[in-house]
Amino acid sequence: MMKDGVQGATEEEQQAQSKKGLKKQQKEAEKAAKKAEKQAKQAADQQSSEEDDFAKHRYGVSAMVQSQEKLDRTLVQIQDLTPAKADQLVWLRARVHTSRAKGKQCFLVLRQQQFNVQALVAVGDRASKQMVKFAANITKESIVDVEASVRKVELKIESCSQQDVELHIERIFVISQAEPRLPLQLEDAVRPDGEGEEEGRATVNQDTKLDNRVIDLRTTTSQAIFRLQSGVCQLFRDTLTNKGFVEIQTPKIISAASEGGANVFTVSYFKTSAYLAQSPQLYKQMCICADFDKVFCVGPVFRAEDSNTHRHLTEFVGLDIEMAFNYHYHEVIESITDTMVQIFKGLRDNFQTEIQMVNKQYPSEPFKFLEPTLRLEYTEALAMLHEAGVEMGDEEDLSTPNEKLLGRLVKEKYDTDFYVLDKYPLAVRPFYTMPDPNNPKYSNSYDMFMRGEEILSGAQRVHDAQLLTERATHHQIDLEKIKAYIDSFRYGAPPHGGGGIGLERVCMLYLGLHNVRQTSMFPRDPKRLTP
Amino acid sequence: TLSLQNGKVDPAVKALQARQDVIIRKLYELKAAAEGLAKIVTTPDADLDLTVGSSLALQSSSSTDLDTLLGKNHGALRDIVINANPSQPPLSLLVLHSLLCQRYRVLSTVHVHSSVSNVPPQLLSCLGAPHADSYARHLFQLGFTLIWKDVPKPQMKFSIQNMCPIEGEANVARFLYKLLAPYPSDPGAATLVDSWVDTAFFQLAKGSAKKRTAVLRALNSALGRNPWMAGPEFSLADVACYCCVLQSGSASAAAANVQRWIKSCENLGHFSPAKILTQ
Repeated sequence: MMKDGVQGATEEEQQAQSKKGLKKQQKEAEKAAKKAEKQAKQAADQQSSEEDDFAKHRYGVSAMVQSQEKLDRTLVQIQDLTPAKADQLVWLRARVHTSRAKGKQCFLVLRQQQFNVQALVAVGDRASKQMVKFAANITKESIVDVEASVRKVELKIESCSQQDVELHIERIFVISQAEPRLPLQLEDAVRPDGEGEEEGRATVNQDTKLDNRVIDLRTTTSQAIFRLQSGVCQLFRDTLTNKGFVEIQTPKIISAASEGGANVFTVSYFKTSAYLAQSPQLYKQMCICADFDKVFCVGPVFRAEDSNTHRHLTEFVGLDIEMAFNYHYHEVIESITDTMVQIFKGLRDNFQTEIQMVNKQYPSEPFKFLEPTLRLEYTEALAMLHEAGVEMGDEEDLSTPNEKLLGRLVKEKYDTDFYVLDKYPLAVRPFYTMPDPNNPKYSNSYDMFMRGEEILSGAQRVHDAQLLTERATHHQIDLEKIKAYIDSFRYGAPPHGGGGIGLERVCMLYLGLHNVRQTSMFPRDPKRLTP
Repeated sequence: TLSLQNGKVDPAVKALQARQDVIIRKLYELKAAAEGLAKIVTTPDADLDLTVGSSLALQSSSSTDLDTLLGKNHGALRDIVINANPSQPPLSLLVLHSLLCQRYRVLSTVHVHSSVSNVPPQLLSCLGAPHADSYARHLFQLGFTLIWKDVPKPQMKFSIQNMCPIEGEANVARFLYKLLAPYPSDPGAATLVDSWVDTAFFQLAKGSAKKRTAVLRALNSALGRNPWMAGPEFSLADVACYCCVLQSGSASAAAANVQRWIKSCENLGHFSPAKILTQ
């Protein structure tokens, strides 16, 4: 059919052409005829080879893995594919990140977590045309088992994490096939903000990413964020364990709110109602009274605040510390700040790859800190703000904009993204906060800030049942509901203090991200309950 | 160790320890005072040192002095931040720090910025042991916050709203010295001090061997005319020149007048922070 069409067109044109052009046209027509003949022959060849494909057993869709056999086959990791493995025949399992067919060959990018490598199926003595065609048609994100030989490359492959080698595929089997249409493209999800607009390419907005979290979590950025988050937890645990702390588990279903009743989730509990814990505060303290001396706790914390901001979640992971001290609550501050500095150092020294990966999509200044940590007093902060033209009352709490401004001022003077603000006004702190012995307007309490945003709130706690009762009455708290808590201090309680950090916030601010949902794997906020 | 049951120390033992610490500290202070007196008596030029004592007026002063020098503040600590590279400790600033401590209640802290690692321990303790009251920042008149950081040259940040950061050890030294003693009111004398400070930091500390020799010769002749670098009175010029001579390692090779002057400087007892770091 094609052939007829071409000829028909040339005949029509012939009439309109001059004699001079006639010869040329004739030659071209001959050429076209030859080409068509060749194509027909090729098609015939293909037909025959399809009938006996010599590479039939080298590709295909595997039967569902139901553990029917236990193969003695070693699968290598993509990150281990280096020139040292050159010319070896290896097996690996990976996702098809992208594929691009080009004549007799098909280029694939195979991905494992944040690592990827270029692979090639080319028609030859190992692969048939049908095999190349099959490889080209594997849908993106499908999982494949591949046997391939590792080859060094002349030119570095800039688009892959393994730049010095490529894989020449000899066998390829699909283990799990992805549906052809993806709800979002991984390339679009990792594109830096603004870059897409310039090139007219798509970027994915956050809600779409969160709605399809499982796919979004596969991006290099997400992989790096959550590997770093795991690092934060591990560094937190390791540092505190080395300091002689004990990890505890506390109940999350509680009978009384620890930090005011306003922002607490109520759950029905058989014939009565209960609350979801806003912090393990009371339990940490009871452990101190039970002679555990230094405790920490990693677990979920719930806040029923109906605030849809970049830094609020309704459920997050709290890293909580409580410790008995000898004479001054600064022993606690020093212990906590040192832990934070160890975390920052650990991330700086061991997670540079992950930090760089996140920076590619979300560029930010490296996180700066001082050792020992800078400690400023509340009055100093007020003086700095006053100098910058902010008028505030002595006993007024810092508003979020003022916190941010203060963070900028501190950064300008001390060049640190992490500092402690000590000696908050007593009036703005919870009832269990110990008043300052020298000035009853102030308290032995402190906040810690990262990039100008609060990550930790802590204080010396009142360990005297009498004073605690007074403070609770002053805050108009129903003594009956916190009886068990107050009673725990009646039988000898050591002076103690502590604080709680939000894991998601620490990760967000360390990486300089702008939304806490980016560092929460399955975020919960007033408007999101799924996935 | 008997008292260390369950990680708690018997309060009685603790109190006894604290009392002992106080007594020992007082003894040390007494010893230092006696040594200082002995130096003044046995110094080759006892009169010189006495004039210095009066010119620097090392009695503790009230915060109103700082109000006139630095402007009024709002009852909060005035914190001077100095960023310095640990590969080139600013000796003159450490000397000026110890002079400030004799004059004011100074809260001294040393930090390491995340841009550097492996700072040697003697740099971490170069401002001396922390003050016993350092937990209460509001009790101090002046903060001296030294941050070891990856900076090309020493830098001071003070009042960020009104002042740009001050770059260069010489300029920071001028600022700090003015908190201790006024510059000479005579413009000629003031310029002479400044010019020696420049000579010290640019030619003595950073110049070639040839330049250094020339400066040492000039020092020697100046010290032949006057007991101190810029005249009859001790000044910032002496602090700068002494520290730079020490840093360049040319103290032992210097001529007679310079040798005598070095001895006089050392007799003042202000220069031990620099001496410790160059040993």
